Amino acid sequence: MRRSTRVSVAALAVTAFALTACGRSDTPADDATAEAVATGDVSGTVTVWAMGTEGEALGEFAQAFTEENPDVTIDVTAIPWDAAHDKIATAIAADEVPDVSMIGTTWMGEFATSGGLDPTPPDLIDESTFFPGAWGSTEVGGTSYAVPWYVETRVLYVDTALAEQAGVSPTPATWEDLMATSKGMQSAGAQWGISLQAGQTGAWQTFLPFAWQAGAEIMNEEQTEFTFDSPEFVKALTYYQSFFTDGVAPKELPEGTLEPDFVAGKIGAFQSGPWHIGILNDTGGEGFVDSVTLAPLPSDEKPASFIGGSNLAVFKSSENRDAAWKFVQWLSQPEIQAQWYATTSDLPSVQSAWDEGDLADDAALAVFGEQMTTAQAPPSIPTWEQIANVIDTELEKVCKTGMDPQEAATSIQQQAESIGTGL
Amino acid sequence: MSTTLTSGSGVRNPGAADQAAPRLRRSSPMHRRRSIAAWGMAAPFVLFFLVFTAWPVVSSLFMSVTDIKSRDLQNPFAVNLVGFENFSTVLTDPLFQKAALNTLYFVVVGVPLTILLALAIAIALNTGITKLSGFFRVGYYMPVVTSIVAVAVVWRFLLQPENGLINEVLGWFGIEGPDWLGSTTWAMPSLIAMSVWRSLGTLIVIFLAGLQSVPKALHEASALDGANAWQRLRSITLPTIRPTMLFAGVITGIGFLQFFEEPFVMTQGGPLNSTLSVAYLIYNTFGFGNYGVAAAMSYVLFAAVVLLTVVQFKVLGERDDATGRRRWFRKTGAAA
Repeated sequence: MRRSTRVSVAALAVTAFALTACGRSDTPADDATAEAVATGDVSGTVTVWAMGTEGEALGEFAQAFTEENPDVTIDVTAIPWDAAHDKIATAIAADEVPDVSMIGTTWMGEFATSGGLDPTPPDLIDESTFFPGAWGSTEVGGTSYAVPWYVETRVLYVDTALAEQAGVSPTPATWEDLMATSKGMQSAGAQWGISLQAGQTGAWQTFLPFAWQAGAEIMNEEQTEFTFDSPEFVKALTYYQSFFTDGVAPKELPEGTLEPDFVAGKIGAFQSGPWHIGILNDTGGEGFVDSVTLAPLPSDEKPASFIGGSNLAVFKSSENRDAAWKFVQWLSQPEIQAQWYATTSDLPSVQSAWDEGDLADDAALAVFGEQMTTAQAPPSIPTWEQIANVIDTELEKVCKTGMDPQEAATSIQQQAESIGTGL
Repeated sequence: MSTTLTSGSGVRNPGAADQAAPRLRRSSPMHRRRSIAAWGMAAPFVLFFLVFTAWPVVSSLFMSVTDIKSRDLQNPFAVNLVGFENFSTVLTDPLFQKAALNTLYFVVVGVPLTILLALAIAIALNTGITKLSGFFRVGYYMPVVTSIVAVAVVWRFLLQPENGLINEVLGWFGIEGPDWLGSTTWAMPSLIAMSVWRSLGTLIVIFLAGLQSVPKALHEASALDGANAWQRLRSITLPTIRPTMLFAGVITGIGFLQFFEEPFVMTQGGPLNSTLSVAYLIYNTFGFGNYGVAAAMSYVLFAAVVLLTVVQFKVLGERDDATGRRRWFRKTGAAA
């Protein structure tokens, strides 16, 4: 008994000591200014983490870089998307980072504020060559921490035959047009005029373009306060809701039925990114996409769409910083970006890369390129994933239970305020 | 620690340990050398225990009283202590309350259902069905060893609203089945059905083992006395296998309170958060980088697990109330 008392006292003392040692320092991360990079002759090994297709293809693709810089070895590790976020977070925590990693655009806020990423050297990378939305996704608190690698945006996939049969435009320009096109296709025989995601994970990506089109902004310009309960945001919610209350869009679409239903003419239109070209060709047979019109999203006050994709970041603890930045710079050159598109079908983040090769000739892809100029990224704040989840939840209530849009906007605003920006 | 370890033997034979070994004073060099040797032997285990068991528990407890977030990963000690603020945040969070209610629904319906079904099947396998019992045992145990991911795909097919097997069969009887996983009313019952199906196998095996300990002679004797099957089940089988029931209840209760995989693979917590469980919410909260709040949530769930287990021990545990009291009466009667 006496022994155990002594042990508990010791444990308490150690705990108390540990507790007094902690406490947040008041000085924020001070080294947010980028240091210059010497990219003349570089050498050594650059370890790169990349996810999905990119992880598989980059190793071979990087040989062109090592031919130019024979002293450098590029060591690519492919990591699965599911594990990537946690793996990077753990790497930063343990300070066992690679030199370069691909970072999903919505993770930027979190990783940049954790202090793990190296700010982008401004003299190395020219901001103006990128799509503004793509560059915006790299900026956290006014400092850029990465370089956009590839982008994607969402367009409308419209069943051309169905639209012609209904006598409506397959390229709706305004909100009224989109509603008319959807309703027209529904009366021409489609079960649903359009499919819009009614809540659940990722629904915000379908909805936010409408809010931006209406003129709503998620945060004020200084990125200090949320502005969800604006009349514009409510207007967008009301418009989105009308697709469900009018029975034009399905409230429930069982997983995996979108593509077969669209191919079968049961769904008139849907909103998605470039990857659906491949999926539709798989489902409907090679060349099916030729019977589909890819239309830019409609505009209300202004045109707007969602920009996604991935950035390339160099870590602060990188052991080979110069070579790492040189590799990132190499990947963001227009001709390399165009070659990368030919390898992986990743859409280039550099505007001038769209002027060459397939990207310039393909009409379907041109829609993506054109829309990219007005595409917007959600704010790069560490708490964004959590706020997006709130939007998903409230949006689901608006779509499925007929919740009042104003009420939903107020609720999103309140929850977002209590979550905070995390900056 | 030492008291709990020796108390069992101490009652029966007090001081046995002291008699066996020559008495050593605590401070004697011999005693000290022995304890150093003992700790040396135990060191590998102690080290593993401290690093892989005690440290995670202590640090998660520490996390639950700080405002630690993902951005603090590099300096996990440079955080502010917030006391029980995380716990009050959790308990007043409407989403957590919703998740807690969902989990309660799942446990209250799921646990008794699983135990009753498993018991019924085990009794059937033990007494009635003797010919193909091996086949049935394997059949019922299959879901336990099958990967949840593969199972989820099949269940999603079964539950599909338009051409799923279940609605197809209901259609033969003129019933239009709902969109099981897409309806706020039916999503949870669907997941309960799936979980019951998944956890039946283990319990059946446990109950089959428990049923072996029921003395056949008692059954035969009471049958001779005219007791029917139901009476024998209530008065002989159930009281005999009560320890097994307790074990089954505790492990099923703990498993069901930590309900996560089914909504994760089937519904992602939807529709309208109707299948969001506490464990799933903890997973999400950790994912959002709110480690402090998530750790606090985990301890609330932990408290619920402890509470449920205590209740089960009270209800199903060793109790000699009826018989014990009678015996006590007899004893006092005899003394008087």
